[in-house]
Amino acid sequence: MSMGSFAVRDLSKSFRTGPPALSNLTFEFEGAGAVGYLGPNGAGKTTTLKLLVGLLRPSRGHAYLNGVDPQVSRRRALWDVGALIETPEPYPTLNVYEALDVVGRSRGLTRESVDREVDRCHELLDLPPLGYRIGWLSKGQLQRVAIASTLMGDPTVLLLDEPTSGLDPAERVLVRRLLKALKRDHLILMSSHQMLEVTEVCDQLIFLHHGRMLLQDRVEGVAERIRPRAVDVEFARPVSADPMTVLRGVASLVEVLSDRRWRIRFDGSEETRVRLLSLCQGLGPVAQFANSSLILEEAYLDLISATAPES
Amino acid sequence: MSTATGEASSVPVTARVPRRRVSDLEQFAIVTVHQLGHYFRTNRFLGLLGLAAVVSALTLAFQVDAGVATVQFEQLYKASEYLSNFLMYTGLWIVLAAALFGGDALSVDFSTGAGYYMLVLPIRRSVLLAGRYAAASLVTLAVVGVTYAFAAGGGVYFFGARDVPWDRLAESFGIAALFSLAALSVAFCVSAYVRSPAAGVLFTLVALYVGFTTLQAVVELAGYEPWFSLTYAGGAMAAVLDTDFIHVQAIPVGEDQYYYLWAATVIEGLEIMAAYVAIFLPFSAYLYQRKESTG
Repeated sequence: MSMGSFAVRDLSKSFRTGPPALSNLTFEFEGAGAVGYLGPNGAGKTTTLKLLVGLLRPSRGHAYLNGVDPQVSRRRALWDVGALIETPEPYPTLNVYEALDVVGRSRGLTRESVDREVDRCHELLDLPPLGYRIGWLSKGQLQRVAIASTLMGDPTVLLLDEPTSGLDPAERVLVRRLLKALKRDHLILMSSHQMLEVTEVCDQLIFLHHGRMLLQDRVEGVAERIRPRAVDVEFARPVSADPMTVLRGVASLVEVLSDRRWRIRFDGSEETRVRLLSLCQGLGPVAQFANSSLILEEAYLDLISATAPES
Repeated sequence: MSTATGEASSVPVTARVPRRRVSDLEQFAIVTVHQLGHYFRTNRFLGLLGLAAVVSALTLAFQVDAGVATVQFEQLYKASEYLSNFLMYTGLWIVLAAALFGGDALSVDFSTGAGYYMLVLPIRRSVLLAGRYAAASLVTLAVVGVTYAFAAGGGVYFFGARDVPWDRLAESFGIAALFSLAALSVAFCVSAYVRSPAAGVLFTLVALYVGFTTLQAVVELAGYEPWFSLTYAGGAMAAVLDTDFIHVQAIPVGEDQYYYLWAATVIEGLEIMAAYVAIFLPFSAYLYQRKESTG
């Protein structure tokens, strides 16, 4: 399999109204792996993906897929690329097979190859029966068909805009596992709101804010910069002590989730974390002491405050 | 790899499938077949085809009920006159079909998720447009074909197969095909411009039917030939069958005052239709090529 690449250079996009959607964005990736593309709504994630596949024209700069600018030749640029942008919807009158067939055939597969590829995708993504009409599918089934369409013909580059959107937990696990396997010999750009999901799948992260790149780093580097400021404590036995009395001066806030579980917010330093553990152990046996599940907004706000002085 | 149920799957994640370069022509055929597969299952196609069949069948049934002698008398004992009258409203069917199949053919890519499915494939937009245009033309012709089939059946029943002017009927169908292409070119242009599929269908219908008909009437009232009107050109479909064709009639409406009633000649009609295709189809391709997915 040939090596894929995608790049944007000094890419900017403005619409008729509102502030610029993207400003001077530059990044480049080649080979295999997964790049997480993170940012809140309106950060410019989908706009970047649309510019990459030629659904939008840049106001300035260039986008390249496998070295080809889609503004110069969309057909050559998209030849070895599978793209899932927003919510793709094949015609509702067609069945699952027909929806995938048009993708495979337009990517140069023979009828026999289409059949094999449909079978492969059906197995990998647990697709609905191939004779089902698109209009009959649930949101999750439709999303899996859309993901399958990106895999038809096995393109080297995959551009995925929130690929687990609309999926139930089991389907999310399925897709995450698939992406982790695919990144070994594919290049994936995956946008998401789900920080944990992206860190599980991706090797590199790009943070976007108001159309500007805030940070590009390996996942470990980002984790270092974003210090979780909350821990979840689970005691082995119910605890009756008043948490704010016990943790006075160390915790900034304690949420009592149950008689055995607390969520403790603190300054994020390692020193405080150790003290908190020690104080909790003083109340009784601790069954679990772990970083609170980090939602993107919190991490994102941390990142903004961390990078603001530099910028 | 595991499936959603957590069971291990032996299917390889990566497939080394051979892929060959696909020509524009092959992709055109792929898109046309894909679009036809969609149209054939839509209620609008089945409804319009059924409606055209029911209206034509009812017309024929009433004529059969009136009797052969009556119909022959009414149609001046001419099969061509009968066919010309039977096909008088073919233009309306074509306008309806053009609005329903062409009015949202391109706008659907910018208002629904259809564009995110098709426009990210390695297919030129001009090829996508051409495939959809071909498919829309074929389904429009299917609707038109139903009315022509009933007309031909009626012609044979009332006048006998030998008296039916098959050559002129075929010419009329050819003109209807060109009229369909012209109407679809306008519809595709509207569809490439507007963002809402419903608006595309409505604007096409208003432009082709209400707009042209009204303008045509106003221009005729002023004594000029409505040479710009596509619906005026559509008269050529019946004109080719009409043995007593009159290009312009001057109807006296007062002292030295006349109201002129125009009918397009076959050549004139063909020229107007060809001009519509030549202007509106490339323009719709230009608009479609330039359009961004901003939604």
